[in-house]
Amino acid sequence: MKISRNWLQSYVDLASFPDDEISRAITFLGFEVEGVLRTGAPRLDSVFVGEVLTREKHPNADKLSVCSVDVGPQHGTKTIVCGAQNYKVGDRVPVALPGAVLPGNFEIKQSKIRGQSSDGMMCSGRELGVGEDHAGLLILTDRPAVGLPINEVLPAADTVFDIEVTPNRPDCLSHLGIAREIAAFFKRELRYPEIRFTANSVSAGAVESELLRSVRVDSQQDCPLYTAYAIAGVKIGPSPGWMQDRLRAIGLRPINNVVDVGNYVLHEYGQPVHTFDAANLRGRQIIVRPAADGETMTTLDGKERIMDPSMLVIADAERSVAVAGIMGGMDSGISDGTVDLVLEVAIFRRQSVRTTSRRLGLSSDAAYRYERGVDPHSLQEAAHRTLDLILDTAGGKVVGKIHRVGSDVPWQREILLRPEFVNERLGFTVPFEEMKASLESLELSITREETDLETNAVQWTVSIPSWRDDLDRPIDLVEEILRLHGTDRIPSAVVTSPGLLAEDDPLVIFNRKATEYLVGHDFHECVNYTLRSRKEQEDAGGAVDDLVLSNPFVEDQSHLRASLVGGLLESLKLNQARGVVVSRLAEIGRTFLKEGGQLWECATVGFLVAEPVGERNWKSRELDDFYSIKHHLGAIASFAGIDLARQPLASVTSSESGWQPGHACVAGLLSHGWTARFGLLSLSAVKSLGIEGKVYAGVLAVLPEKIPADMKRRRYKPLSIHPPALRDLSVVVDDSKASDEVRKTLAKVTREAVGNAFQLESLQVFDVYKGQGVTEGKKSLAFSLVFRADGRTLTDEEVNAAFQKLQDRLAAIPGYVLRK
Amino acid sequence: MEQTLAALVSKAHSELSLLKSRVEFEAAKARFVGPNGELTALMKQMGAVPKEQRPAMGRLINEAKAKLQTELEGALARIAEAEIAAQLGPAIDPTLPSPDRGPGTYHPLTLVREEMCRILRKVGFAVADGPEVETEYTCFDALNTPADHPARDAQDTFYLPKETRFGNVSKHTPHERYLLRTHTSSVQIRTMLKGPPPIRIVSPGRVYRRDATDATHSANFHQLECLYVDRNVTVKDLKALLDYIFASLLGKDTKTRFRPHYFGYTEPSFEVDLSARHLPKVNKEWIEIGGCGMVDPIVFDGVGYDSKVWTGYAFGMGLERLAMLLFGIDDIRYFYQNDLRFLRQFA
Repeated sequence: MKISRNWLQSYVDLASFPDDEISRAITFLGFEVEGVLRTGAPRLDSVFVGEVLTREKHPNADKLSVCSVDVGPQHGTKTIVCGAQNYKVGDRVPVALPGAVLPGNFEIKQSKIRGQSSDGMMCSGRELGVGEDHAGLLILTDRPAVGLPINEVLPAADTVFDIEVTPNRPDCLSHLGIAREIAAFFKRELRYPEIRFTANSVSAGAVESELLRSVRVDSQQDCPLYTAYAIAGVKIGPSPGWMQDRLRAIGLRPINNVVDVGNYVLHEYGQPVHTFDAANLRGRQIIVRPAADGETMTTLDGKERIMDPSMLVIADAERSVAVAGIMGGMDSGISDGTVDLVLEVAIFRRQSVRTTSRRLGLSSDAAYRYERGVDPHSLQEAAHRTLDLILDTAGGKVVGKIHRVGSDVPWQREILLRPEFVNERLGFTVPFEEMKASLESLELSITREETDLETNAVQWTVSIPSWRDDLDRPIDLVEEILRLHGTDRIPSAVVTSPGLLAEDDPLVIFNRKATEYLVGHDFHECVNYTLRSRKEQEDAGGAVDDLVLSNPFVEDQSHLRASLVGGLLESLKLNQARGVVVSRLAEIGRTFLKEGGQLWECATVGFLVAEPVGERNWKSRELDDFYSIKHHLGAIASFAGIDLARQPLASVTSSESGWQPGHACVAGLLSHGWTARFGLLSLSAVKSLGIEGKVYAGVLAVLPEKIPADMKRRRYKPLSIHPPALRDLSVVVDDSKASDEVRKTLAKVTREAVGNAFQLESLQVFDVYKGQGVTEGKKSLAFSLVFRADGRTLTDEEVNAAFQKLQDRLAAIPGYVLRK
Repeated sequence: MEQTLAALVSKAHSELSLLKSRVEFEAAKARFVGPNGELTALMKQMGAVPKEQRPAMGRLINEAKAKLQTELEGALARIAEAEIAAQLGPAIDPTLPSPDRGPGTYHPLTLVREEMCRILRKVGFAVADGPEVETEYTCFDALNTPADHPARDAQDTFYLPKETRFGNVSKHTPHERYLLRTHTSSVQIRTMLKGPPPIRIVSPGRVYRRDATDATHSANFHQLECLYVDRNVTVKDLKALLDYIFASLLGKDTKTRFRPHYFGYTEPSFEVDLSARHLPKVNKEWIEIGGCGMVDPIVFDGVGYDSKVWTGYAFGMGLERLAMLLFGIDDIRYFYQNDLRFLRQFA
């Protein structure tokens, strides 16, 4: 919102404050100053309107001209050397005569330029401080009279503050509102506009009372208060210069006296007002009603609007003439020929105006204020101010009945405030006298002061004005007092913090461990968008229809991600495309999975290992394979309390999109709290994305609430210091049989064979063999067994006996053949 | 005899010098000094030597034996040396680069987040977390956002379809919609609903706004919030925390200043500016870094804390913005492209 300094000056004397001090005041009152713009011309003595009579080339300089310029009867014709090119003989331009001081303290003197004397300077806009235009002279196209002082031609200097008003302060969406704040800040008096209109100012007469016969409000809820005044016999013409200057300063285009007054009052009081040409109100009546379904109206901006019953309109007997609180209709407004007016000053419900404004894609200064809240108790004052200004600038008289439909609940609000409470909340001391002065300066008057005789505690009753609906509780007054005390004066202090003895959230710890592990294993941590395209989710086998947003912003970010792989592949591709060698990428973030008919937000760790396409190295290193990925996934799973070695693992089938069947693994169930996929990504899928080379990946998704808060403390088991006994054994099984199943069987058989006599300390597969000596379709698995006993050295005899026993038992299991 | 012994030593010298392995060595050793070796054979001839010549012969044989022993030891040492040389291979060039992968890198957002968490942990804040899919209650209602507040509009906030069900995001009322949280303040609410005060948490996390992506906007970004609830918490305490955070992060000379502002869930509320003279690519004296305020009593009442007893403050800021300031990054999109040339700069 733009606020003009000259305009503020009408209500509060700020003459002694430079712009930046006012800007600072606005800032520390709680309104961000987004820009400070200087407009109009500063005070310029000895600068006049001149007309170029002749223009000759300078005898000694190609780019200069020597002109004779008429500066009016008082100063006569001057010879001026000029370097600009954009003017011609007959143009009127600003002329600074010797003695003039231009902005930047630039004094004009009689001078000689390349041997040619010059009696002054013809000026550009920038030289006069009225703009940034320095391309040439400021040509006065309106052709003002020659010899006029330039300040009578150019708009007066002004400073415009572009400020952001927070939603809790609709009372500050006006010059008076901001003036009230600044007056309080600088402890200056606030002067309200003088209101001359009273109900007695209305002329009564039979003909005149016919200008507006009736006002009917069909929708009291959306229009709690509607007032209308009829004004007869106005003369439409330009508004006064001071009003035009102010409107222009805040970026509005002056139109005519009546329309300008409406805009002026809106920006003065924050109360929107609207004027109709009474002649255009058919049936001489106003009806505030919901629009009919499909009803159309052309608004003042020339666009046809199609409305529906959720929208409130102002209508006459036949048709709608304005979208309530937002914009008037094209053919009911003020024209040059308007003689009689109807002035509307009303309150429309915030939600109603907002909804309509959104649905029509139509906003306006009026709508903006209604959406944020207009004070119904200030309505009458704004209406009377409007009438005063219309009568002043357009003549006419207020006639007939003053229509007022609806009512406002009388306003009264008081807050009981212990001033000591303010200091308790602030943590530092503001003297009571300062608090009092601050409250009073904001028109928050203290109507009663009581002192508790026992505790000596003081309590104030603070009366809240109607426009401060945001103030309701003592804490709200703490803010008011602090604002005026100055938030930049809050004393500095050290942090005092008793320990809370709380641990970080288990999920945070898990994420941290996973990130540290992956970065420690040379992965580059990535961050990708959570919202992905439908296609990517389909490719990843996500629950596409469940993950779609109801209101996506762009098409390629329509779905929640079901996997981190899509994003990582995108990052991989980007790097490959940019010629950056990349191999290991990881991401830690949320994914959204479906299980048991509902969605689950999962804490997820994803990583991928790609062939480092394009890498040139003096010594080659072996690439990672499935089992390296399994290692990483196992490590990460352990951070979530999952022991991957104890989990059933299965090769992915062809139904698992994105992964290469036979070369990737699926583990876990979300219904048990976690799920994982790892291994080779589908070669064809990766290739179709335009990515070169093999890509391995791993993804672990865990329900955050299943991550254990603290891992169980382990108990120490004593170690045997006696030597181990080693035995190797090969067994031939079907190629399709999982090695872990064989290992488990062997372990079970071995433990049975050994009994409690000693222990099987470890059992490791150390060779997997297919080929000569092993039947087609079979494989040989070689295991190394380590036995050990507590407290003694094992004898060959007992180990051999046990070993023989377990071999016999194993050989007896169908499908198991011992290899000699 | 004497010549024979000398010839034997000389033969051993030339043959042993040609040996390449321990196997050859052992064979040669047996050949010369083993039970069936040449020296042994010569010693066996001692019986045939006249008695008076035996001492001289014995001396000669012992001398020859000693010489052979020296030759054998020399040969063994040479073989051992050759073996070590073979084991070692050629010498390294210490200036060649390692062919292994370069080190991994933390994402700059992680670096900034973790640094902030470390700073806050030092003064007793524990790191909290909460879901990114949220409910209207947790994201808005409980934070005193009016029902008609524009932030709730489908224009600004992402919603999930009405029929969407989440197994692990709890709702306050059965009919409220799920949405993508617009701020991490929802974690404050979940934390307060979970347990009694006092509370001191920091909650970093991902948030969502329905915004067009450009140099400074992104459909998702990251925030970090602090919540402190205790008795007698004051505005001065809040200012002290902010001063501490930014002095820790940017150096002792860094200053903060508060400007009054408005947030529904704090009263009074402030925007926080940072003295920015020493930050890269900033040509302003002050730069806005976050928002804060004293927790509004309505929020406490809503989560069942007695607002007459408990007071507190909250502070929030954008992590991308902070990272951009710290590192001098001028486009938010770099954070989401994961170009390794970008990621490696912060390691």
